Amino acid sequence: MNDEKTKPSLDARRTFLSKLGLAATCTGAVVGLGAAGALKTAIAKSESSSSGGQAKPGAAADRKSFPTPDYDWNKHEWAFGVDATKCIGCLRCVEACKRENDVPANAHQFRTWVERYVYLADDKHVHIDSQHDPVNIEASGSEKTFRFANRYKDKKVDKAFFVPKLCNHCTHPSCVQVCPTGATYRTEDGVVLVDETYCIGCRYCVQACPYGARFFNEETGVADKCTWCYHRITKGLQPACVEVCPVGARIFGNTKDKQSPVSLFIRNSRVQVLKPESGNAPNVFYVGIDKEVN
Amino acid sequence: MPKHIFRLIALIIGFVIVAVIAVPILTVDSFYRFGHYRANSVTEIASEAPVYQTSRYCLACHTPRVALWSANSHKTVACEVCHGAAEGHPAKGKLPIPKDTPKLCTLCHEAMPARPRTQPQIDPTKHNPSGQQCTACHNPHSPKIVISAAQVKGDVAAGKKRAEEACASCHGAQGISDNDIWPSLAGQKAAYLARILAAYKSGDQKDVVMTPLAQALSDADIQNLAAYYAGLNCGGARSTKLAGNAAAGKELAKNCAGCHGETGISANPAWPDIAGQKPGYLSNVLKSFRAGLRKDPMMAGVSRGLSDADIENLAAYYAGQSCKP
Amino acid sequence: MEPVLQLVPYTGWVYPNETVFEWSILIAVYPYITGLVAGAFTVSSLYQVFGFERLRPVAHLALLTSLSFMIFVPTPLLLHLGHPERAFNATITPHLTSAMAMFGFFASFYVALLIVEGWFANRPHIIEQAQKRTDLLGKFYRVLTLGSYDLSEYAMRFDRKWIFALAVIGIPGAHGLHGYVGFMYGSVKAREWWSSDLMAVIFLFSAIISGVSLLAALYVATCKMRKVPIDLACLKGLAYTIWAFIMVALVLEGLEFASLVYKGREGVDMIMQYVTGPLLIPYFILQFAIGAILPFLWLSYMIWRGTSGKALVIGVTVCACLVLFSVFMMRWNVVIGGQEISKTGKGLMSYQLHFWGKEGALMAIIVTMAPLGLLYILTRLFPPWHDKATDAH
Repeated sequence: MNDEKTKPSLDARRTFLSKLGLAATCTGAVVGLGAAGALKTAIAKSESSSSGGQAKPGAAADRKSFPTPDYDWNKHEWAFGVDATKCIGCLRCVEACKRENDVPANAHQFRTWVERYVYLADDKHVHIDSQHDPVNIEASGSEKTFRFANRYKDKKVDKAFFVPKLCNHCTHPSCVQVCPTGATYRTEDGVVLVDETYCIGCRYCVQACPYGARFFNEETGVADKCTWCYHRITKGLQPACVEVCPVGARIFGNTKDKQSPVSLFIRNSRVQVLKPESGNAPNVFYVGIDKEVN
Repeated sequence: MPKHIFRLIALIIGFVIVAVIAVPILTVDSFYRFGHYRANSVTEIASEAPVYQTSRYCLACHTPRVALWSANSHKTVACEVCHGAAEGHPAKGKLPIPKDTPKLCTLCHEAMPARPRTQPQIDPTKHNPSGQQCTACHNPHSPKIVISAAQVKGDVAAGKKRAEEACASCHGAQGISDNDIWPSLAGQKAAYLARILAAYKSGDQKDVVMTPLAQALSDADIQNLAAYYAGLNCGGARSTKLAGNAAAGKELAKNCAGCHGETGISANPAWPDIAGQKPGYLSNVLKSFRAGLRKDPMMAGVSRGLSDADIENLAAYYAGQSCKP
Repeated sequence: MEPVLQLVPYTGWVYPNETVFEWSILIAVYPYITGLVAGAFTVSSLYQVFGFERLRPVAHLALLTSLSFMIFVPTPLLLHLGHPERAFNATITPHLTSAMAMFGFFASFYVALLIVEGWFANRPHIIEQAQKRTDLLGKFYRVLTLGSYDLSEYAMRFDRKWIFALAVIGIPGAHGLHGYVGFMYGSVKAREWWSSDLMAVIFLFSAIISGVSLLAALYVATCKMRKVPIDLACLKGLAYTIWAFIMVALVLEGLEFASLVYKGREGVDMIMQYVTGPLLIPYFILQFAIGAILPFLWLSYMIWRGTSGKALVIGVTVCACLVLFSVFMMRWNVVIGGQEISKTGKGLMSYQLHFWGKEGALMAIIVTMAPLGLLYILTRLFPPWHDKATDAH
């Protein structure tokens, strides 16, 4: 028999108490780091509510014109509309996005892309392709330019359409939820961004995104995604993909402005979102997509 | 408590204290200001310079071009879609004028099952079988080809009378010219005849012989003449004096087929039939289009690349075709 | 230099961004190693806390094994990061909603616990060496004594209490750590193959069988190397443990798969196409048939027949190796398999394992084997042996 079982009760109690003490100590070591983080939050909050501290005009004013002097993020709540019935699949949006945002020049990583759905008369399965399809890469002649091959022109087509895709800038983004560091976040005006100088490159967010909107940028070593061209929209411009769309299939604007194009689009059409069951509450609203689109 | 236990606990507490002190020090500035992220990163991202400058940016210097573009159907296609992002322009040089227009234009206009029906679409193998530049016919800033094919409402009898007075001496009694360098008019498209006569009359089109003759015509005369000649039978003598190589001309003629039809019978009433036309006339006209003496934006474009031999071959090909559809 | 993308061949419809594979074999190695830590710690606790006397010969070895594997747990993660130099961002500003951020705390807490428990267990040896040696190693031991050479009965009673307490805390710690690794996958709702409430539990039980099997194999191997007789009672104890936990693990994984198929939610067609196609051999044959059912039946047979002697040693060793392999296949099938099923539910990808490179097979083998090297060094510094020869001393 071992000694533990034959110990007097007083001794057992002391054992328990010291166990408890140790547990507290060890837990303390772990919680310590977390608590320090929380403490920092508290300090930061008190700093931002008082006007002193940093060499800036004051946190309240600072917040008003944040993130840039000419732009106030509290007055904006951005949203995106896609009218798939208008899309002609010219892929100018994809090329503009790549150029505007320095997206790696290959046919496998995109901040925005366009999908083609084709239902053939003699086939009950939908045929879906996009820019990474070898047939389309061949049609464009390189991985740096984009074009849809006219591969169904001699087939009997029942129904076919294009669907532009991009980051949904979800209200409850699962990518932000899983980021271990806070390198990705949702801004006050509703845009999900990546802090390229803070991301550790673990790619958990790439896994967590239900829409495949994120990718790992080998050149920067961090996660990469659509920003709705945050550097443009904060200057009063449209995102690059919206700017170049020749048919108005992409609509962008501020939902806090009831007369903005996107507000009108959402109000005047029956819009839907992708994978609503994800619970992410996407902010890209679609018109004219089909059951197979997800 | 034994010494070693005490020291161990001290060590653990020491670690925790170091961690608690280190974390706030290591936390980068501006983190937690608005949430669990570095607030400065938002400013950094927002401060990046846009690459695409928007079409408004082009307006300042390219005013006439922008005006033309913004008044026509391509106004929804931003300048930078075809010319590329304007970042650094003009300081860093010119923006490209697209070279390979068949490739560029078909990005949007190639007939494809998934494209909405409202989108204008063409089958490149039929519309432009030889793969010539789309800009040969279409002005990209005003792409729609609009030629008014106004209805001709003339009196054939009056036209016949006027023709005998003014035209027959050159264009033949039945509209079949007996000179190689003067065009036959019999069976020609009425709308074309009316348009070209009106152009001579107004001075838009100039010719030493035709200009004074046309200026003597009233608007009613023009209508009557057009109606009269259009009704004549074109099946007269076909020219046999062929300087060029008709087979080579047939190859080249694929470039013209979009407007003038495969054999020179045009599908549109505004465009002339050229099948069975006098070869000397055809080659003269092409040469003057090429030299800019005859003004037509479309013909100027397509004739620009033709050599003298090409022109002779084309003339030979069309002259040899039957003028009857 | 143009970065080389790890493009994967695919069938059906997958999102463009999915054609670059994100989590490589290293991320399969990572839960494998954590599992071994948790499993090995279980063995040590069975002796320290629950009084399984027959496991005494492996109890200390289990602790050292646990520690040496735990120290290597972060390596596959660090090798995988795009910016390993920023790894501490996850502990400086941990995002509390992220499963991954909390890992750093669980792991560091657990490493600390293992070190402290190992320190208590080896204190008599450390003090002995510190007094005996005068060389550099002696200095090392003297630092470890924390300046106290107290081995009185009073002090030793404290040590025993601490060991017991740490073992008690360590059980939820180890299983929390590992169950939590399972949660990291189970909580990803974007992936049907991962997103399961059972994932954490399945990870736990497979962790236990892998750790116990590792110890069984290590025990036999070390006995052979040290040329000491194998304590058959101990080996039998390990075999019983493996048997019991394999049974639970098998039932759980069976239930998990059954409920996935039975619910037949969107995307199940693709999963069925996947498990009956590319996954048939790695999943049903390697992981289940050869890796779990075969050792389960074999162990059942040996327990039923009361097999002893050389046959038992060979049987348990082979079964242990099979289980180790099976659990690795389980990690592979979860981590790699989960990514091979497209988020579109309409396509499959197939991961290409390279041999060389930062995330290749060779690196995975090195990372998995490195803890064994560390274990060898640790056994030289803190001999964990409890056989007749040393016990008599």
